[in-house]
Amino acid sequence: MSAVEMIQLKPGDYKTDLKPVWCPGCGDYGVLNALYRSLAKLQIEPWNTVIMSGIGCSSRLPGYVDTYGFNSVHGRALTLATGVKSARPELTVITVGGDGDGMAIGGNHFIHSCRRNMDITYILMHNEIYGLTKGQVAPTTPTGDKTKSTFYGNPEAALDPCELAISTGATWVGRGFSGDMKTLVPLMTEAISHHGFSFLNVMSPCVTFRGDDQFKVMKEKLQNVPEDHDVTSRRAAIYYTREQGVITQGVLYNTQQPSLTDRILELREQTLGDKTPPTTDEIFQAFYPQF
Amino acid sequence: MPTGDLVLAMFGSGGDGVVTMGEMMAQAGAKDGLDVMRVEAYGPQIRGGESSCTVRLSSQPIYTQGDQVEVVVVFNWQDFLRFKGELVVAQDAVVLYEESDTTPLEDVGLSLGEDARWIPVPFIALAKEAAGTTLAKNIVTLGILSEAFGVPQALIEKAITHKFSKKKAAVLEANLKGYKAGIEWGVGIKDRVADYYLEYEPGEPRLLMSGNEASAVGALHAGCRFFAGYPITPSSEVLHFLSEWMPKVGGSIIQTEDELAAMGAIIGGSFAGVKSMTATSGPGLALMTEMLGLASMAEIPVVIIDVQRGGPSTGLPTKSEQSDLWQALWGSHGDAPRVVLAPADVEDCFHATVAAFNIAEESQMPVIVLSDQFIAQRRETMSPLTLRHKVVDRVRPTDEELAEGNYQRYAYTESGISPMTWPGIKNGQYQTNGLEHTEDGRPTSMHLVHEKMNQKRYEKLRDVRSRYSYVRKYGAEKADVGILCWGSCKGPVKEAVLRAEAKGHKVSAFVPQVLYPFPQAEFEEYLKTVKNVVVVEISYSAQFYKYLKTFLDMPKDTFVFKRSGGKNLTVSEVEEKIERVLELSAVRKEVLV
Repeated sequence: MSAVEMIQLKPGDYKTDLKPVWCPGCGDYGVLNALYRSLAKLQIEPWNTVIMSGIGCSSRLPGYVDTYGFNSVHGRALTLATGVKSARPELTVITVGGDGDGMAIGGNHFIHSCRRNMDITYILMHNEIYGLTKGQVAPTTPTGDKTKSTFYGNPEAALDPCELAISTGATWVGRGFSGDMKTLVPLMTEAISHHGFSFLNVMSPCVTFRGDDQFKVMKEKLQNVPEDHDVTSRRAAIYYTREQGVITQGVLYNTQQPSLTDRILELREQTLGDKTPPTTDEIFQAFYPQF
Repeated sequence: MPTGDLVLAMFGSGGDGVVTMGEMMAQAGAKDGLDVMRVEAYGPQIRGGESSCTVRLSSQPIYTQGDQVEVVVVFNWQDFLRFKGELVVAQDAVVLYEESDTTPLEDVGLSLGEDARWIPVPFIALAKEAAGTTLAKNIVTLGILSEAFGVPQALIEKAITHKFSKKKAAVLEANLKGYKAGIEWGVGIKDRVADYYLEYEPGEPRLLMSGNEASAVGALHAGCRFFAGYPITPSSEVLHFLSEWMPKVGGSIIQTEDELAAMGAIIGGSFAGVKSMTATSGPGLALMTEMLGLASMAEIPVVIIDVQRGGPSTGLPTKSEQSDLWQALWGSHGDAPRVVLAPADVEDCFHATVAAFNIAEESQMPVIVLSDQFIAQRRETMSPLTLRHKVVDRVRPTDEELAEGNYQRYAYTESGISPMTWPGIKNGQYQTNGLEHTEDGRPTSMHLVHEKMNQKRYEKLRDVRSRYSYVRKYGAEKADVGILCWGSCKGPVKEAVLRAEAKGHKVSAFVPQVLYPFPQAEFEEYLKTVKNVVVVEISYSAQFYKYLKTFLDMPKDTFVFKRSGGKNLTVSEVEEKIERVLELSAVRKEVLV
């Protein structure tokens, strides 16, 4: 290894010169900073990393990180990430986005990504509202809350992204708060290091459309997962997902299951291994009558 | 007199083994060096229901399944009746029908000439007696067909042995007995049907492939190493074939949760530097259209095969149509350049798919291959000699250029094509998006940048037009009738042109492989060589004709022959049209004089 490659990457080395479009006080700054620090902590090579996103305030994030990045289409980030990881299993693939993007329009892709358990990290910035389109109700908005699109209060029930992730097959599920870097950075580092689909739900206040209070409310509700919590138990993990009056942060669920990434590589090994791949003419042989 | 060209069709219920029988005949023919085309048709039932199979065997090159069926095998008249409307039976055909089916012949509505031969056959009884099971009646029939019509007898026996060799010895033995019984029974009708006895010189074995398989192999040949797809009739064979072969060549394949995800995945795979493809049909393309615009905007090379079926909505899932044209050409919000290719036959599915990858990789944009059920699911013989196609890869900046820093992913260039990096390439990192962006990929909503970037993205089509304007032309250099068609209409049109020429008419045809960007200059030249233009297409609203009118002044008296799908275009339909146009133009001339 050359001297140049030995240089330690610092959090600042992952920054691009593009300034975030986020409002002052937005929780997403905290998530971005935690990401810089986690990448540096793991010394992840920027050129071997892809950060994928959909559409929303938080989905602008890939533009601020000097890896390969793609701010794609509303709700579809995980489909692109799945393609990247399937085609190039050796890359580090991180997907980021908001709760509207991931849980509403992207809900179907989310459950199937959990189920496939590919080696992808999904960081959800959870603010219970649509920010980019200026304040409509999200699938995570509590029942009764007034938003721009629910004049008389939200008539629907909210879902919990962590509960959905645990029940559909994600093998690492954690929850953090963008205002608590001390907890968030180790959580994010663990999520990225996890082998399999890791889902990190970060409570990330929208001061513009949920009010300055949201930060305070979230912070007050915050409590750490008990030390004796059994992270391998799906039932125990689910317990912490739909609590009233508290937000439990920490690793909720952590288990090892074969990932689709492994299976793709195993299949390649079984069918091709060290052999030379067949030429087109050899493939054509399959189409001559076999008798 | 024996024949060199034979068309047989078989009708039965699922479980009658009609398709197996057709496949064995097709394989035996291919093995013996014949030109073979095999077409299946089904009802919409998942299992059971009516099914039919048409096989054409010829010692001469063939371009269609054959207009008229000469030998008809009917296991059950009720099943036959479901297909009757899609079928033309020769006036002097041989009709072999199950003798125990008591449907009166006058009720089957098949009015044939006096030379027709109606032959009741105890298919069921023979199978029971010889093989001990009615299941063997397709094998019995193969015996009859081989003996009485010259379908390669020894090779069929080999095919039967191959098929049943993995089963219990008794099963193989029973089937071979059934086959022999059929042969013996066939001796009795041989003289009556001698004019339909196939006579030919055996040649080298040929490949036998479907259009979907040819597309899949084309993709592998082009270097495609990632496929994502969602099952949909009539494209699923591409997914099936690649599920076996993609890992064997060191690639990856996934079946996604829907077509949105398939499209997203291939954009991701290609962004990651791996040639990527999906295959679908009209309803799937509708979902993919969302991210087709993304591939266009972010300039990501991807290949989408759309195997067209009857539409709109669920439409006719198992039948062909050419009505996805506008969706392929224009489907997207915003101005989203893409390239649209149309393979014209099974072999062309291979070539068009490789060309699609070459264009996509060179020009960094989505390329749609508009196949259809007619060519995608039929099997055809091919020669390995013409299955060659040059492969092109995408242009990347050199390491030296990247080391200088300031890599601009969307740098303006004369051709509009900017060298592209992908993950793993150091100093090549860039952040892209579906937002309008500057040369370095940064989001912008400035009018001037948008104008310039649109220009850059469209500029790339110029390069495609100049290098990929493959057009097939048939017939006379100066013609009274010039036929313009695309895709699977090529086969019947080509055969009709050849027949018209044999009759002394001056007829020609123009079949472009690249539909967008359209080879306008070549077409305008072609128009100068024909007196009457006829557009032939399988689309009720005449999508192709109207598409041409968007950028060409089509001659005022252009004839348009268009109809819905659900029935494959036949040679005689085209021939009738040619005759009609010749008549009309004669009348017109008289009026003018």
